[in-house]
Amino acid sequence: MPSRRRTLLKVIILGDSGVGKTSLMNQYVNKKFSNQYKATIGADFLTKEVQFEDRLFTLQIWDTAGQERFQSLGVAFYRGADCCVLVYDVNSMKSFDNLNNWREEFLIQASPSDPENFPFVVIGNKIDIDGGNSRVVSEKKARAWCASKGNIPYFETSAKEGLNVEEAFQCIAKNALKSGEEEELYLPDTIDVGNSSQPRATGCEC
Amino acid sequence: MDEEYDVIVLGTGLKECILSGLLSVDGLKVLHMDRNDYYGGESTSLNLIQLWKRFRGDDKPPPHLGASRDYNIDMNPKFIMANGNLVRVLIHTDVTKYLYFKAVDGSYVFNKGKVHKVPANDMEALKSPLMGLFEKRRARKFFIYVQNYNESDPKTHEGMDLTRVTTKELIAKYGLDDNTIDFIGHALALHSDDRYLAEPALDTVKRMKLYAESLARFQGGSPYIYPLYGLGELPQAFARLSAVYGGTYMLNKPECKVEFDEEGKVVGVTSEGETAKCKKVVCDPSYLPGKVRKVGRVARAIAIMSHPIPSTDDSHSVQIILPQKQLGRKSDMYLFCCSYTHNVAPKGKFIAFVSTEAETDQPAIELKPGIDLLGPVDEIFFDIYDRYEPVNEPTLDNCFISTSYDATTHFESTVDDVLNMYTLITGKVIDLSVDLSAASAAEE
Repeated sequence: MPSRRRTLLKVIILGDSGVGKTSLMNQYVNKKFSNQYKATIGADFLTKEVQFEDRLFTLQIWDTAGQERFQSLGVAFYRGADCCVLVYDVNSMKSFDNLNNWREEFLIQASPSDPENFPFVVIGNKIDIDGGNSRVVSEKKARAWCASKGNIPYFETSAKEGLNVEEAFQCIAKNALKSGEEEELYLPDTIDVGNSSQPRATGCEC
Repeated sequence: MDEEYDVIVLGTGLKECILSGLLSVDGLKVLHMDRNDYYGGESTSLNLIQLWKRFRGDDKPPPHLGASRDYNIDMNPKFIMANGNLVRVLIHTDVTKYLYFKAVDGSYVFNKGKVHKVPANDMEALKSPLMGLFEKRRARKFFIYVQNYNESDPKTHEGMDLTRVTTKELIAKYGLDDNTIDFIGHALALHSDDRYLAEPALDTVKRMKLYAESLARFQGGSPYIYPLYGLGELPQAFARLSAVYGGTYMLNKPECKVEFDEEGKVVGVTSEGETAKCKKVVCDPSYLPGKVRKVGRVARAIAIMSHPIPSTDDSHSVQIILPQKQLGRKSDMYLFCCSYTHNVAPKGKFIAFVSTEAETDQPAIELKPGIDLLGPVDEIFFDIYDRYEPVNEPTLDNCFISTSYDATTHFESTVDDVLNMYTLITGKVIDLSVDLSAASAAEE
């Protein structure tokens, strides 16, 4: 069966509970922020059209839906990811220390064909809190970790104030696109079983 | 843990995950736990390393079989009827957005020592050697009757009350021979034994209608569909639905112990020294062994092959039904095969299963008629396990236990159990009369 040209790019967002993964998605896709913290409810995946060089792509951004809280993400969540975003809270050393675990968990579960070059992006979120006074992870320390893991692109954001969120996701989209194009995914002819509320654009471009 | 929930679900089998999803959408506070570090319980799909660990102990899979992650080997192989209950549940919950499906290439039946395709259209039916020419005419009249039958329209009943007339009596009216009856009962109505003949014909007629409707749904070579990456995707998809609606997930929780008060009513579940309180527990039989009874056993062979099953016209996904009478057994035997085209194996590899209700303690010998149809196999594994059903009274202890999966290669009985449990748990009935035609049937 012929391979299909990708128009749908899957991005997954990993990180400890409470670092702001859902808020980042909502800020990027919906320009919204909610101060009310409840361990993620109602977050699923969001889609956004992005354009590169006169080509249109659908970015499908997958939240963990709270299943990361007790390390209970299934292999299906990881499958087919084109880019993996690792998020930590600059005010929480523990969430930064766990980035290593999340990255390794991703490589185990997703088993990318080229693990050395799989595109990650790291986001240090919540730089707005207390005007930066409660910050415990220095930018220098974070950049050093990213450099040591293969020069992972790094961004510092505030989902609440919308700082740097657009820039981070532009980089994510670009890397997902590059990754997606390099891999000729074998996707057999599938059938459409139901009325999806968010249609999947997996068809050919013809 | 150390929190209070409406419902605690134990085991992430397909039934438990569907229920977890439905209950979370209803607004209940759900905690879902599993002793394993993967989803699916008895209905999971294993990669190669997991398969070897389960069946070969400390052995390692040979490198020539390819990457472990490329394998998704179902522990409870079934195809999904395209118009069946599971599709309706998937559409009702919108869980289809997490999944991809592909039609199954063919459905076959074993008859007089040979494998025959179950006709998928009139042309195939005319050519099929399963019936002689005159028998085909008689069968066609019967099929037209079934097709036109409408439970709520007495004009279509032709004077017969199918809630009283037995299947045998109905078929006798059309003068069909035993061979045809065998074919209709087992390959179309998908009965696994012959008890249906003495029972009211309504169930068989409904089953035949389901088969025909499923066949027409995607106009493929069979009435079945099957998800890419194997059936283990289904529990994960429903678990995600639950999580999106607030369900809490804890895999890798050893020894989940259900706690009861002095009246025998459930009060919570303890694991690793912590107790979560709840009003109700939903689980598979393995979590409350004292409240279930054994009702049978399933024997199964799992084979890795490098070719399609012979005589199936190179089908990459296929079901073969071996009716009990053809084998001289008490119940049917089922062959189920899928392959790299459904992303359950690396390129060029096929996974085949032979399943039946066990009648002996020796699966390798018992399953031989099915295994002989496979041709050469690269690796083969044998399994035999007990089936259980609950014997507790949920109104007394608030425990709702699912029944084990049977040997059939479809999900109708599975979903029936789920829907019944849902009604017991909530007092509500789910309306599954989704308009299937509103769901696009176009192939991409």
